Amino acid sequence: MYSRIQDLANAVVRRQLDRRNFLRRAGQLGIGASAATYFLNQAQSTALAQDFDWQKHNGTTIKLLLNKHPYADAMIANLETFKSMTGMDVTYDVFPEDVYFDKVTAELSSGGGNYDAFMTGAYQTWQYGPAGWLVDMNEFISDASLTNPNYNWDDILPNLRASTAWSGVPGAELGGEGAKQWAIPWGFELNSIAYNKRVFDEHNLTPPNNMAELMETAAKISTDVDGMYGVGVRGSRSWATIHPGFLSGYSNFNERDFTMENGQLMAAMATPGSKSFHADWVKMIQESGPRDWATYTWYQVGTDLGAGASGMIYDADILGYFMNGGENAEAGNLAYHAFAPNPEASAPTPNVWIWSLGMSNFSTQKEAAWLFMQWASGTDHALFGARDMDFVNPVRQSVWDDQAFQDRIAKSYPGYLEQYEASAPGSKIYFTPQPLFFNLTTEWASMLQQMVGNEVPVDEGLDQLAESVNRQLRQAGI
Amino acid sequence: MDGSRRPFMRKALPYLLSLPALLVCIGILIPFGTAVYYSLQRYNLAFPMTRGFIWLENYTLLFTDPAFWNTVRVSLLYTLYTVGFELVLGLGIAMLLQRRSLFNNMMSILLLLPLMIAPAIAALMWKLMTNPGFGILSYFASLLGFPDFKWASASSSALFTVVLIDIWVYTPFMMVLLLAGLRALPRQPFEAAELDGVPQSFVFFRITLPMLTPYIITATLFRMLESIQQFDIIYAMTQGGPGNTLMAFQVAAYLERYQYTNVGRSAAILMVLWAITFLLSNLFIKQWLRLRERARGMG
Amino acid sequence: MERQTTTGRVVRVMLLTLVGLFFLFPIFWVLLMSFQTNQDILRIPPSIFFEPTLGNYKALISGRLESTAGVLEIRFMNNLMNSVILAVSSVALSLLLGIPAAYAFARFKFRLGEDIAFTLLSFRFAPPLLVLLPLAIYFQQMGLIDTYIGLIWVYQLITLPLILWIVRGYFEDISEDIEHAYRLDGNGWFKTFLHIAIPLAKPGIAAATLLSFIFAWNNFVFALILASADKQPVTVGALAFVTASGIQYGQIAASIVLSVTPTLLLALYAQRYLVEGLSLGAVKG
Repeated sequence: MYSRIQDLANAVVRRQLDRRNFLRRAGQLGIGASAATYFLNQAQSTALAQDFDWQKHNGTTIKLLLNKHPYADAMIANLETFKSMTGMDVTYDVFPEDVYFDKVTAELSSGGGNYDAFMTGAYQTWQYGPAGWLVDMNEFISDASLTNPNYNWDDILPNLRASTAWSGVPGAELGGEGAKQWAIPWGFELNSIAYNKRVFDEHNLTPPNNMAELMETAAKISTDVDGMYGVGVRGSRSWATIHPGFLSGYSNFNERDFTMENGQLMAAMATPGSKSFHADWVKMIQESGPRDWATYTWYQVGTDLGAGASGMIYDADILGYFMNGGENAEAGNLAYHAFAPNPEASAPTPNVWIWSLGMSNFSTQKEAAWLFMQWASGTDHALFGARDMDFVNPVRQSVWDDQAFQDRIAKSYPGYLEQYEASAPGSKIYFTPQPLFFNLTTEWASMLQQMVGNEVPVDEGLDQLAESVNRQLRQAGI
Repeated sequence: MDGSRRPFMRKALPYLLSLPALLVCIGILIPFGTAVYYSLQRYNLAFPMTRGFIWLENYTLLFTDPAFWNTVRVSLLYTLYTVGFELVLGLGIAMLLQRRSLFNNMMSILLLLPLMIAPAIAALMWKLMTNPGFGILSYFASLLGFPDFKWASASSSALFTVVLIDIWVYTPFMMVLLLAGLRALPRQPFEAAELDGVPQSFVFFRITLPMLTPYIITATLFRMLESIQQFDIIYAMTQGGPGNTLMAFQVAAYLERYQYTNVGRSAAILMVLWAITFLLSNLFIKQWLRLRERARGMG
Repeated sequence: MERQTTTGRVVRVMLLTLVGLFFLFPIFWVLLMSFQTNQDILRIPPSIFFEPTLGNYKALISGRLESTAGVLEIRFMNNLMNSVILAVSSVALSLLLGIPAAYAFARFKFRLGEDIAFTLLSFRFAPPLLVLLPLAIYFQQMGLIDTYIGLIWVYQLITLPLILWIVRGYFEDISEDIEHAYRLDGNGWFKTFLHIAIPLAKPGIAAATLLSFIFAWNNFVFALILASADKQPVTVGALAFVTASGIQYGQIAASIVLSVTPTLLLALYAQRYLVEGLSLGAVKG
């Protein structure tokens, strides 16, 4: 069917068939107008792309810095395609995630041009961008002579494009006025609930629909199910503890990290709403979280769910996705559920993590690096990764619309697509961009640890946190 | 040393012999100077526009920050506990293995095994062993009546846990140096004491310990240097947490530098660490030199 | 020289058993774990009965971990090789530089001698991060970043002071008489050093070599900051088994076992010198 419709679309491009007849015959094949138009657009840009010179940097070698991650694995698996298409060579360094970001910072701050492009998160660009280590990708995306006509930048989900663009003014809206595109979204995760359906069914549990139910269900699992605790969330002394489930839930109650007062960023963690959310969160971990929560990174959260040590997680959706495969004991038993903790909220508000590709400002072969980046973030590779590898969640709308991808997910990951569709509209980065992100968010996590450890009452802890955050902002001149 | 027919060569020889080592190390001194310079600057990589010379402001900010004094406290406590326990334990084991026998020699090699496991990896190992689910130590703890012992993830037991790991890794180092010392001790005073029927405790405190002091000083010096600069074990276990329970010097400096990109503050923290290390080491080395001079004088 | 009564012997054996348990049980447990699959390891409560598998070692040595989730590339053997290269060359360089210097400090009273010796030792005082902070930038400019040579140079901070301190102590404890006699026979200084002094100091040199090798082997942070992935030692490589599709505990255990093997072999080889060689310029009767 696909080859038929593609043939038809190509016929339109060659002017052998007009548009109206094309749509009619597509209809006969059972393909709706919007899908047919998509194929037509694709055929047209393919034709245009034949004019684009992928071979321009034939013979050039570029070097990448990568995190040990399924996204990187998918790219490496498809790398020959890029090499043969461009005649370029690509070498890469892969580091374990435990040390990956430190390595990137070390590398960029020594001013070396060892790597041309690298994997980064959006938060990191709030540091790297102002430091002058990144290239504003707008310069390349908008240059028709450097970007292949097939690239279709607008196909990348608008929230993600905005979330990776920032003007550098602390507190300014992401993707707002004067924003520089510091990175290209590559793959992303939003936060929802993944749960052990086998256990939920055995104990007649239903996935929770608000914070109270989450706490209740988690507590029930901890007491009723032998050798299992209720809910897995991260807890290590790191910004990564704040950004997944925690901030998603926090934002669902309309709480913010900062507010703008008289043109100054002010900490907003000490509001009554924030205090009550923190109190619930702390109670949930104390009652039904992992016992060594304070060392939990996403690996422990995931491994526990996969091994059947936890009943559910409120974390990245793709973490639950990864755990449903491989050699995990509970592979095949996991299910997914969109989650809005605030009973008054109309929809979930997941904070997103976007693995992106950034270009080093110290690279001496930026055009060649851009060739690689547009291939790696392009539709063809995204489709390959989403259909055949674990390159999910895809950042392109066209991939979400792809039937083969949808079929694959629906078959092996029940409820995942529904979870995504319910979560996606409200998903974006809910942090306020500012260069002290890591400093202040790590301090937030540290304070959370002290609250969970009963070293400081929630109210007092948040007052202290807000005071310390404000002091540091002023010290840095923000 | 005589015998050289060329007086110049004779004079220059010791310098020629020690110079290459010195030169190789001097190269490392240049970055040290640069670090001093950084510590006097407002220098955060994410704020390139505000970089500038601020004299001692980084230091005054540190000294007025309770978090910094917490760091000083954590590092000193860590050093005190680890070096203290390792010294006592290492000395005890060395005395158990003092007699030369095949069994004792094999045992001393086997006991060296933990030292051969890199601290970063040892921390990984202990993480596995203290895992509340399948960790063997958590299992033992529950058998002993502590079903809920949280090891590194509760602030009440975090210091205990990392100190335990440090003791596990580094006691063998202490042990082997002190064992060498014990075996090198002259026999006469001990034989005389035995003939006179002097009680063993007297022998230990009045003969063994004083004669062993140079070894103790050396072993303690090397251990102290490493303990006060501890990074691998703490960072791998908790990254300084829970809360700020384990925020030792190098952990704090590492976070400032590689995660918060605050080079100036990081350099200032490390300079304070260097100053403390230098002072403590000087005390030890002075003492060591004095003992040695006295020993030479006697011999 | 200690009185061996029956109770004394019993107490001694008991204490040694306790000591052995504390220091060796963790290693034994990890050794067991390295022959288990992830499912066996994650079983609650832990058990010592399981069907041993060589899968973890096979995966590490062949560099490929095949699972239902696909093939995972592992570069552990590469990391192991890097550790060997870095530790062996660093120690070798330190011996080359350190032994003559140690000899000079032990045998000659010269102006600034103690000062130079102290300066060299004091490099050990500088916190590694303090040096790394600007060093990465200098290395970048000098083209030494991401080279073995650059790393070996920095490793001297760990290995050289230790070798100097131990070997110097040993030289000081050897009587000068034999060297004198040899030189009176008309042999030059260098020949004496090579044929008499060094062989006599062999136990000290062996012990110093072993200890500094261990400390070089165990380093984590230098290579992490200064080199690319293909020059990382095992200490960094062992982190690679924490993957998105779960933590590979069995392979972590196997990698720990493999990473200890080279040092253990060296230790077994050097064991007869280890204790005898660590005479630290102390009191000799």
